[in-house]
Amino acid sequence: MAIPVHTDQKMIEIDQVEKSFGSHRVLKGISFHVRAGERLGLIGPSGCGKSTLLKLITHLLEPDRGTVTVNSPEVGLVFQGSALLNSLTVRENLALALRRRKLSKKDEESIIQEKLSFVGLSDFLNAYPTQLSGGQQKRTSFARAIVNDPKIILYDEPTTGLDPVMSTIIEDYMIKLGEESNAAAIIVTHQYSTWTRTAERVLLMHDGGAVWEGTPEEALKTDNPFMRQFAHGYKEGPMLEGLI
Amino acid sequence: MVFPATSCQFAISSRLGIFCPLAYGESTTSNPFCSKIVGMDSTGSPKRPNLLNHLLLPLNVIEDQFGRGVVLVGQVIIIWFKAIACMLTGRIDWREAFRQCYLIGNQSFIIVSLTALFVGFAMSLQISRELVAFGGDTAIGGVVSLALVREMGPITAGVMLAGRVGSAIAAELTTMMITEQIDALKVMRVDPIEFLVVPRYIAGLLMMPVLSIYAMTVGLVASIWISMIAANLPPATFLDSVKQTILDRDFGVHFTKAIINATLVIMFSCAVGLNTRGGAEDVGLATTRAIVWVMTSIFIFNYVVTSLTYAPR
Repeated sequence: MAIPVHTDQKMIEIDQVEKSFGSHRVLKGISFHVRAGERLGLIGPSGCGKSTLLKLITHLLEPDRGTVTVNSPEVGLVFQGSALLNSLTVRENLALALRRRKLSKKDEESIIQEKLSFVGLSDFLNAYPTQLSGGQQKRTSFARAIVNDPKIILYDEPTTGLDPVMSTIIEDYMIKLGEESNAAAIIVTHQYSTWTRTAERVLLMHDGGAVWEGTPEEALKTDNPFMRQFAHGYKEGPMLEGLI
Repeated sequence: MVFPATSCQFAISSRLGIFCPLAYGESTTSNPFCSKIVGMDSTGSPKRPNLLNHLLLPLNVIEDQFGRGVVLVGQVIIIWFKAIACMLTGRIDWREAFRQCYLIGNQSFIIVSLTALFVGFAMSLQISRELVAFGGDTAIGGVVSLALVREMGPITAGVMLAGRVGSAIAAELTTMMITEQIDALKVMRVDPIEFLVVPRYIAGLLMMPVLSIYAMTVGLVASIWISMIAANLPPATFLDSVKQTILDRDFGVHFTKAIINATLVIMFSCAVGLNTRGGAEDVGLATTRAIVWVMTSIFIFNYVVTSLTYAPR
């Protein structure tokens, strides 16, 4: 098994980023970074700006203030709802991501086969997304995200809506991929098992900012009221103040 | 931070720059325009309605609709320019374009046939009846063909394509937006205009003139048949009249209208689809919006072309 190498190279740098939608300020000057080979778990209650951050990193959105630096031309994103193109087969969905590299048919086929076998879907090359189960769609989305061997991989709720067994399988892929590719990863999730198993460092977001940072082990022991409440699922605490 | 319904509504109307201090309580379901007209007093409570506010309501709605219309037309122009740029630089997925030709063209033939057939029936029945009464039977073919070539052929094909293809494109692209498929394309650095709009536009440009000429032909055949039954007019006499009346220029205008209709159907449907956010309900709203805009613009541009080419000088 390859051991991930954490270098000092910052693959993603978020510096004092602010983002608003209309009058609603979603991000309020958040800053953090992710190094090569590192898996950062981005956790927090719904609506705190986690998915918005992923869209800023993939340039689907632009920040109002602050800077988002991405030190890789290739970024893979595993979407929450898989986001596979329904009019294309599994093979065509992966081929679309490879299209701009203008590979030969043989090379293209070999990469697609390799990535699909990584997620255990070699037999579903010609299936359409609507013919796949939720877990298979998620794995196809995973294969599509890594088809160009990106040095940055973003996971948006990778295990939400999946049964515990499939969640574990997806988490294993994430760990295995991190170890093999040395890619920097951000894992946006609500699932306790996902961030405790897959993340090496955890950043808790609340109300558009970061309120706690540390390892998953520290997260379970900390006295920080936000982290304590989120990690243990307490109703009492500062996280829901003013919301319910 | 708490965002009560009323403050969100205030934000929506303020963003559009159309807020005026109107109030209809906090209900958002009983009044479809409520999200635009809710305001709050200094205590945060909804303001009470008054007579002036009631009178201003239609103006407010018109302003909103006009503003959204201007934005949509702007989006259509931008997408059209981008699509033309892709086509001029050879960024065309021909395989997808031919697939769209099948979906847009081949699958529209039956519905266009039926529509054109009954348009031809009705028109020749009306015209035969009037011309026979004035002893002008030999002019039936000319009058019917003028109407079919210059107006009804392109309009019938355009309207049917708007209903069958425009609605499908708007619904498909809106669903792709909502399910993040368009975002996935952007992350993979695949240009949505090149991948989604250009093949549909090329298919529309290729198939609309074909459908339009086909609609005109079916309409003419239907007219010949009805003229034989209703006015005892031999087909040869009908066709003689057609030959004497129709000019080459009429086919040029017919073709121009078909190309414009194809542009309107594809561009409005794509612009609505690619700029809609929300949920399942918005797919239906986007489809309706696309159809309304496409049909209205088809009739407007049809008049513009007719007035530029046939108006007396």
